[in-house]
Amino acid sequence: MRISFKEWTKSGAPWVWLNAGAVAISMIMVVGLLILIAVRGLGHFWPADLVQATYSENGQQMKLVGELVNSEDVPADQLRDSGVDVPEGAEFMQRNLIKVGNRDVGGSDFIWVLDDFISQSSKPEMLFAAERREWGNFYGYLRSVKQDGELVASYDGYEKTAEYEVLWQDFQSRIERALVLHEQIKDIEKGDIGSINYELERIRLKERALQLKEITDQARYQELDARRAELNADYEVLQKDLTDLYTAFNRDSITAEVADGRIVEIEISKIVRAFLPNDMGLGAKIAHYAEKIVEFMTDDPREANTEGGIFPAIFGTVMMVLLMSVMVTPFGVVAAVYLREYAKQGFVTRLIRIAVNNLAGVPSIVYGVFGLGFFVYFLGGHIDDALFPEAKPAPTFGTPGLLWASLTLALLTVPVVIVATEEGLSRIPRAVREGSLALGATKAETLWKVVLPMASPAMMTGVILAIARAAGEVAPLMLVGVVKLAPSLPLDMNYPFLHLDQKFMHLGFHIYDVGFQSPNVEAARPLVYATALLLVAVIAMLNLSAIAIRNHLREKYKALEM
Amino acid sequence: MTSEAKTHAIDISAMQRENRTLNLEDETTALEVKNLKLYYGDNEALHGIDMMIPKNRVTAFIGPSGCGKSTLLRCFNRMNDLVDSCRIDGQILLDDANIYDRSVDVAELRRRVGMVFQKPNPFPKSIYENVAYGLRIQGVTKKRVIDETVEWALRSAALWDEVKDRLHESALGMSGGQQQRLVIARTIAVKPEVLLLDEPASALDPISTLKIEELIHELKNDFTIVIVTHNMQQAARVSDYTAFMYMGDLIEFGVTDTLFTNPSKKQTEDYITGRYG
Repeated sequence: MRISFKEWTKSGAPWVWLNAGAVAISMIMVVGLLILIAVRGLGHFWPADLVQATYSENGQQMKLVGELVNSEDVPADQLRDSGVDVPEGAEFMQRNLIKVGNRDVGGSDFIWVLDDFISQSSKPEMLFAAERREWGNFYGYLRSVKQDGELVASYDGYEKTAEYEVLWQDFQSRIERALVLHEQIKDIEKGDIGSINYELERIRLKERALQLKEITDQARYQELDARRAELNADYEVLQKDLTDLYTAFNRDSITAEVADGRIVEIEISKIVRAFLPNDMGLGAKIAHYAEKIVEFMTDDPREANTEGGIFPAIFGTVMMVLLMSVMVTPFGVVAAVYLREYAKQGFVTRLIRIAVNNLAGVPSIVYGVFGLGFFVYFLGGHIDDALFPEAKPAPTFGTPGLLWASLTLALLTVPVVIVATEEGLSRIPRAVREGSLALGATKAETLWKVVLPMASPAMMTGVILAIARAAGEVAPLMLVGVVKLAPSLPLDMNYPFLHLDQKFMHLGFHIYDVGFQSPNVEAARPLVYATALLLVAVIAMLNLSAIAIRNHLREKYKALEM
Repeated sequence: MTSEAKTHAIDISAMQRENRTLNLEDETTALEVKNLKLYYGDNEALHGIDMMIPKNRVTAFIGPSGCGKSTLLRCFNRMNDLVDSCRIDGQILLDDANIYDRSVDVAELRRRVGMVFQKPNPFPKSIYENVAYGLRIQGVTKKRVIDETVEWALRSAALWDEVKDRLHESALGMSGGQQQRLVIARTIAVKPEVLLLDEPASALDPISTLKIEELIHELKNDFTIVIVTHNMQQAARVSDYTAFMYMGDLIEFGVTDTLFTNPSKKQTEDYITGRYG
């Protein structure tokens, strides 16, 4: 039976299709986005096979060792125009991006090659890849291991033999040793010496404060001097330990043959990890992959943020969001309570509501500028004048930092909390308020004991929205406290433990920095995706915990069915 | 529910009014209303009410919807203060003191004149905390005192046997009738002198209604009760005195039996015989 078009529209079916279609498209976009960043980002950590090949272009031959990163089709005409000898009749040529590493040897660690010009490609099991603390990855054949410059063992062939196996194991154990030493050096430098420096700085500030107050009591100066001498003595001891450790750390080196046959010497202290990708089974690759993911999430960055982990950025993001929530919640709730419960409703409150709603629409960079001008320079400057005169001319709070970044974001998100809380307050049944008042409770008592607890789920909704907005914000942070690389976390073991004046790292800014400010864009691109994925995960986690709290509160203060 | 039926069977006999002649002249005054006028904005809703509420008796306000009976009731504990546009002329005397005097502490007044609303409005807290709420507001912190008062209030509201094993569960899990008795318990826990009931049974089923009516009968020994109802049978069953209001005026006020059997005003007769309302 045919249904006429008119009947079909009347039945509402087209609307159902339209609505379902809109939902489906939204879902596909969200899922597609997540899949894209997950695939691009997480693929980076997989140990790719190393290829050795001969490449000849325009009569020139060269040997290549590296991993295939990407390939694309380019029009042959374009290649002809740039002077490449392209075979007749070809319309498109495949072009591959190869990561050849060895930036210290060859100059650039990525090259584009035409697939047709590659010959004699093979995957020798003996090729090894090394991640280094500087100059990026190294690819080559292990030739010898040296200790204090003296040859310990060497190997010359290209086939994997028992002899090579021994050399490789020796290499691995020396890397292990160097890593342990590196860990100790880091502990001393960042931990012990860091604390001593921190305390010395505090003593210097105390002394300066005494001078500023024109106190002439010599005993107090002597006290500080004594403490300083003590610390300096400690420092000397540590410094000596450190020198010994460095000597031990720099003991070993290796030589290796690179693609073009040259022999290169590398200090083992520069190597983070070495592996034989072509010789690894699936299990070994998965283990390697897991190790890399863990490193990514828990380690400090290396090499201008393009290698290593992003833990400080994760920590900075979470810390800032938590501080922001702690600041924005009471402020927003108090404002909403006044506006809804105490202020006389009328023209002025309506005006304020409009202003608050519009505030939510102000571009975030404007808040950044305000934060810099008001919080950092004005408030921070005055705090420094009043509380930290001894540190001048170096600013303490008069410079961008964690506190100001959190405050700026709190300001950015306060309208959301106000609106959500007001909404929640307006939904509390009048009967419940009257019930409390009729028992002889004052308005304030009613508010504290009945109304606010019942409105708490709505407040949490506001906080959830605030977190969602704040965690993804980057622009204002660049002005008020985020840096590319923070030397230390804002939370540590030195009094007062939480350093609100410190600058910090942030995932959102990290994405921008790695992707667009990095000297090695090709190497950093996968990290952009990986960091983006992590940022989404962190925000989701923060949101989910807030939602869990809200649902708990909802259950507890389930509104009356009225 | 079976245990409830066993422990609290409905005692119809308790609802038979005692054979005693009531006379307004002999009663002690609990509340006295003097020329009370109430305005919502420019609209006069009560036109000069004069009456007295007798102590330890049940007084019912009846009348058609919008006649001002609830509004008058809410004047007794100044609940109308919460309405922005509301303005009041005249006096209400509680112990010879005008409750609308500037020096009166409204919270203190509401402790002395408790109120139960049309729909049960327990707080989203435990049963125990609901009843203890008023005491905690008054600053009572001794657990023993609170425990005793909670038990006394729940017993007085005929609820103790039903809830004694789940005092610390949420009050929102109770049935509507139980919630309303909980609200009554909560109100009497602060030991008010006057208990205002604003259509307390209108949202309840007949069994719960009966329980509430029986409860009112029990409570009048300790409290002065004023009840608003649009159910004339209910007024006849529970009250000693009845006031009939119409269009913001007090038409007739007298002993319930007399008012229902032999009304002196034409309007009262029309109303109770069902000619309008």
